[in-house]
Amino acid sequence: MTTHTLLQLALRSAAVGYVSLLILLPLAAIAHQSFVGGIDHFIQDISTPQASSALALTLEAAIITTIINALFGTLSAIVLVRYEFPGRWFLNALVDLPFAIPTLVTGLMIAAIYGPTSILGLWLQQGGVTVLYNQPGIVLAMLFVTMPFTIRSLQPVLMELEREQEEAAFTLGASPWTTFWKVTVPSVLPGLLTGVFLTFVRALGEFGSIVIVAGNIPMKTQVASVYVYGEIESYNPQGATSVSVFILLISFLVLVLLERLTRPPGERMPRWFRWSNRPLAMIRPSEIG
Amino acid sequence: MIVSYLFPILLAWVAFSGSVMAGESKELTLAVYSVPKEAYERTIIPAFQRSWKQRTGQEVRIRTSYGASGAQARAIIGGFDADVAALSLEGDLDQIAKAGLISHDWRTGPHKGMVSASVVALGVREGNPKGIKVWEDLARPGVEVLYPNPKTSGGAMWDVIAIYGAGLKLAEQQAGAGKKPSAESAEIVAAGLLKGIQKNVKVMDKSGRESVTTFERGVGDVIVTYENELLPRIKSHRPYEIIVPNETVWIENPAALIDRHVDRHHVRDVAEAFVSFLHGEEAQAAFAELGFRPIGQPASQASTRTSLPLPNRLFTIADLGGWDTISAKLFGPRGAWTTIVEDLARGK
Repeated sequence: MTTHTLLQLALRSAAVGYVSLLILLPLAAIAHQSFVGGIDHFIQDISTPQASSALALTLEAAIITTIINALFGTLSAIVLVRYEFPGRWFLNALVDLPFAIPTLVTGLMIAAIYGPTSILGLWLQQGGVTVLYNQPGIVLAMLFVTMPFTIRSLQPVLMELEREQEEAAFTLGASPWTTFWKVTVPSVLPGLLTGVFLTFVRALGEFGSIVIVAGNIPMKTQVASVYVYGEIESYNPQGATSVSVFILLISFLVLVLLERLTRPPGERMPRWFRWSNRPLAMIRPSEIG
Repeated sequence: MIVSYLFPILLAWVAFSGSVMAGESKELTLAVYSVPKEAYERTIIPAFQRSWKQRTGQEVRIRTSYGASGAQARAIIGGFDADVAALSLEGDLDQIAKAGLISHDWRTGPHKGMVSASVVALGVREGNPKGIKVWEDLARPGVEVLYPNPKTSGGAMWDVIAIYGAGLKLAEQQAGAGKKPSAESAEIVAAGLLKGIQKNVKVMDKSGRESVTTFERGVGDVIVTYENELLPRIKSHRPYEIIVPNETVWIENPAALIDRHVDRHHVRDVAEAFVSFLHGEEAQAAFAELGFRPIGQPASQASTRTSLPLPNRLFTIADLGGWDTISAKLFGPRGAWTTIVEDLARGK
């Protein structure tokens, strides 16, 4: 064996060991713990009234969050990449801030803005809108902590996108809207999907900010992570791990889906996705408005 | 080459300094729940270190961790090698005992192992704008009530138990003097009161401290919490008032040494001295300063050390059948509180 192959082997085992130790091992431990009582127990644990409604609320809020952040994230990314305006660098720097702020602080900030002592909070209260200690508060917290994902995964793709393609479509007579949908969107789709999925799974697990702004009333405003925390605190680790593992399963499925959808071209990919890689010349005239 | 010698030298140094420390000074690790932190830091620990030095000539170093009672218990069970645990709930200490770490019966000590006491009280806004006087006022429409989630907060368990127990007392009053209502009808009254109040709860924070913070942020009309959480704040001129209802529950907080750890660290003598110090005059005065009540049976309690009047119809956990009974009755899967919360969510 040469030193070169030895080095390769060492590097590879280091990477495998690192990922296993940090991620695979804890995952295996929690999965083992939740299934130790059998699958019946697992199903029983996640279908208690409080657990199932916490899971439903979490999924619902995470989906709403993902949709909003996909739309406004795409918009923001395009503006940040394509348009020159004063203060763009500042706005760009702000985008990463949610990652740098402890989520607990996020919760406190939201509570301060929408609380009954703030002007905005009072005004909303008079209008009959309760944001804090209500579902909108949960979505707001999720939106904040997941904001960078879509923008940051779209930005590099948008920068690499060759303007010539769009210009060509435009000179061939495509309207700006058609160009956007038929040329821009397909090219940035992998980036967008990454952002969307990461947003979704991150929103599912959010705890620190939600526990402060949600109100945490069981079956009304209690999300899954807060429910899990409650079960741990009341000496029911079994119930806690079952719900955690359920969330993990959803996240895992979503990430597997993501992995399959964003493979480089040529590898197995669903048909609806593959057409985006056709050369521009293959766009049928009927597709150009 | 020099580097290769460094490690054995370091090892020898650590071993040597360790043996020196065992000879001349002792180290005690405490796991304390978060509420009495100030009493421990400012008064109890320094005073104990002085008294130990006087008695034995030894320096004792004390490391203390503060955190939620349940979290401390779980940490100890999971391997945090604290020598003494001072927690909020008996149940948390029992969990440590169940894990085999406490092998003596910690309830045999003075005051049955309890070191501090309080009652559940109500905090209202300055001037009491909603006119809150009795528990039933908390169930009125339009009154917003705060207490944390009993699943995450020992304090909230006390709060819910206080409400439920007050409901039982209320049933007795309704039945009239001399007559005793049947257990069943009393429980219906109690569950009714609890449901009325739970209906007015908009926020359930994860701890008692957080609940107070939420209240101070302007949320809610009434907060149900420990008397000792409210008293120091009112003393420091926060704009709210305290109401101690006539019917409320007597709260006691236990402390015990953890046998397995004190034996491993050879600090049983210090740990024993520390626990008995907690029962002593100096520590009790420090707790009283923080708004706690003096320890001892509430009935026999001569209120000499405190100016706090004793509520008329005070009850204890034992009056309600003990922790196991009452926590199963309220917080179990078919418990009264659990059912109420689920019914309210379904709009029943």
